[in-house]
Amino acid sequence: MLELRRVSKLFAGIPAVDHVSFAARPGEVTGYLGPNGSGKSTTMKMITGLLERSGGEISFDGCPIEEDLIAYKRRMGYVPEEPYLYTHLSGLEYLTMVAELRALPERRSLEQIEELLRLLSLHDDRHASIGGYSKGMRQKVLIAAALLHNPELVLLDEPFSGLDVGSALMLRSLIQQLAARGKVVLFSSHELDTVERVSQRVVILHKGKIVADDSIANLRSLMELQSLEAIFSQLAVEQDTDAIAREIVDVIRA
Amino acid sequence: MREILRKLLGKLPREFRVLCRQFLLRVVDLEALSVHADVPRFLGQFAGVLILIDVLRTIGFLFFEAGKPGMVGDAMITALLQVAHGLVSMMMLVVGLIAVVSWDTIFPDRRDAMVLGPLPVRPGTILAAKVAACAAVVGVALLSLASGMGIVLPLIAGSWRVFAGYWLGMAASCVFVYGAVLAVQGLTALVLPRKMFLRISAVLQLGAFAWFVAGYFLEPGLSGLDWLEGAAARGALHLWPSYWFLALELQIAGHMPAELHEIASRAWTGLGIVVAGAGLSLALCYLRTMKKTVEEPDLVPGRNSGRGWPTVRAGGKVETAVVRFTIRGLARSRHHRVIDAFYWAIIFAIAVSTLRSEGAGGWRLPVTQAYMMPTFAILCLAVVGLRSTFALPVSLHANWVLRVTQLNPSQQYIAGTRRALLLLSAAPAWGLAALLGLGFRPWGHVAEHLVVLAAVAWIQAELCMIRVSKIPFACSYLPGKTNLQYLFWGFVLVFLALAMSLANLEMRVLGDPWQYAALVGVLFAIAVGLWALNRHRAREAVLYYEELEPVVIQTLGLAGAQLAAIEPAGVRRA
Repeated sequence: MLELRRVSKLFAGIPAVDHVSFAARPGEVTGYLGPNGSGKSTTMKMITGLLERSGGEISFDGCPIEEDLIAYKRRMGYVPEEPYLYTHLSGLEYLTMVAELRALPERRSLEQIEELLRLLSLHDDRHASIGGYSKGMRQKVLIAAALLHNPELVLLDEPFSGLDVGSALMLRSLIQQLAARGKVVLFSSHELDTVERVSQRVVILHKGKIVADDSIANLRSLMELQSLEAIFSQLAVEQDTDAIAREIVDVIRA
Repeated sequence: MREILRKLLGKLPREFRVLCRQFLLRVVDLEALSVHADVPRFLGQFAGVLILIDVLRTIGFLFFEAGKPGMVGDAMITALLQVAHGLVSMMMLVVGLIAVVSWDTIFPDRRDAMVLGPLPVRPGTILAAKVAACAAVVGVALLSLASGMGIVLPLIAGSWRVFAGYWLGMAASCVFVYGAVLAVQGLTALVLPRKMFLRISAVLQLGAFAWFVAGYFLEPGLSGLDWLEGAAARGALHLWPSYWFLALELQIAGHMPAELHEIASRAWTGLGIVVAGAGLSLALCYLRTMKKTVEEPDLVPGRNSGRGWPTVRAGGKVETAVVRFTIRGLARSRHHRVIDAFYWAIIFAIAVSTLRSEGAGGWRLPVTQAYMMPTFAILCLAVVGLRSTFALPVSLHANWVLRVTQLNPSQQYIAGTRRALLLLSAAPAWGLAALLGLGFRPWGHVAEHLVVLAAVAWIQAELCMIRVSKIPFACSYLPGKTNLQYLFWGFVLVFLALAMSLANLEMRVLGDPWQYAALVGVLFAIAVGLWALNRHRAREAVLYYEELEPVVIQTLGLAGAQLAAIEPAGVRRA
């Protein structure tokens, strides 16, 4: 189980993540939601160990992650928010490099990479430079790199970004199947419809603080709202969206 | 002055000014810079190196040449000609290097097409802004490198025509070199299909680099006015454009001997061809290539680049991954390739010059310092060159993957970096030294020198690895950290002193097996000692990806009156 206890991150004294506590359990998909700038990606980076915390504790299976960060990284797969990759490498070379850095058995990992590339429809372009890949293709490379070593904890930060409809449907199903195999899956997304379909529970973040942490069904009944979108709007959206749209039209007309 | 400049610039069209500023900043790859780096500072450092060269050269000329007793008449003319030719030659090298480093920047790329294409900006404005940005960089180089002598030379000659000749000749040499690069690029882009041009462009760039650097080191030195006239009459200067533009300077200054008339006219003809070729190809490229660039497919089908090549193994999986990453970075990243090519172009020039002397000696020269010094220089340049390219990142944003997948001790990554350095710099340089040794005799002495060279290579690689806890191409670049302008001269002095001492020592011990064994033993002991020290440090090391951490405390940057304004009443500063 992944557990965050009173985790905080300050940038120049300003809290980006403020005493966040929640747990993501094996066999369950936990959706992590929040408007832009609410601290989702910062939390994700702290969970991966890329970013140091200002306070609090993160533990996986009861052990603080910094106790043996390398052992923890072996069990974790991560898809970052932005598809930043070494663009001078080809898709195949990139995945091979990740397999080598993770010290995976050479022959087996090469077979896995080939198969993953085929399943993700990247096989024909496996020797092409990543620099020429579309956003969706890059996203697929990231997903393959994150799952290559069969991780127990899967962290997905906006994994649907840039994917076409078919790939998005496949990923949705993949997330569910990963959870069904007992993995801890934490994923953040702006696509509330997808989160609603895939997640068993959701954590909603607003201005760095958690404003909801429960199953979607419980939230619906507690808040007497029909959809996750309505719940999210009530908890995390402060602006009158229609009024803002009207103002934008007025501004450009002026 | 600033106000006048602002008013003058204000008269230019706004879109031109905006684009020109953007293109000027794009001469440097912004993504490669550290968090604390800025482009003006970087360009300032570049100018600083050139100004230092100019100041040293001017002071050297005034105190050690012009100030010498008996420096009148022909002696003074020879000294002035040597300085003038040296400056033209160096100016052409510097502008050539700028043209190679800013390869492609003047032509419309995909980013220009996608960003500026939808905006109501005419291609002519984009072209003018690009030309102006490149001209500004070349202008900075010209003023930085040529100002000192540009004042001193006309004062000594006491003529305004010398002043005009000097500056017009220097400017013409800059235009010639930059224009020649543009013309070659532009014409190739027009003649070849786009896909083939993109492939050939990288080769052309490296070729141009080698051409400029090797040309600078291999061109004949000017020994006097008689020599100049004789060489011009024999047609020996027809292939060296630096002499064309020296003749052009003399022609404008009104001091040109009749023998130089032909090479001066070569300068004019060359300038005309280059300006016409560059102008025409640029104009056509903006009309034709913009469209081609937009139509270019995003995804170019690749082929398995590793097929047919032996698989590189460098020990464990991590070390192998680091070495492969380095090879691919060096092969596919333009910046890295160009920087390393700069050092290899000098190596190439040294090798050619050594081969020439070997050929002149009948390919059976005895092993002396004349063989040892170039091999030490080749080795040193190869190792230092590659180490300097390691400091430039490929993609800082993508480094997260190295951090997330760091499952092994830092020691293994650092070992990978060391192996990449040895494999990609020391090994080929050593191989080249061995090839050059084929023209020397006896081969036993050549072999003994190669063993010494191997020890020196190891020492050098270990020296380059001191306090290096990073993966090649995976750390931000902080201009100024290395204080290049001081490091360069320090390096030259230290290298010369050490290489000369070692070559002298080696010459003394070559015939004596015991003394030779002692020398080799000491060298390998130093190498092992440095290796052990680096290895020990690597055990505790933490890999770093940013030269400077971002500041945690933000300063407001208030001073003087601003600070007084926010101080509470009654508080007085000491």
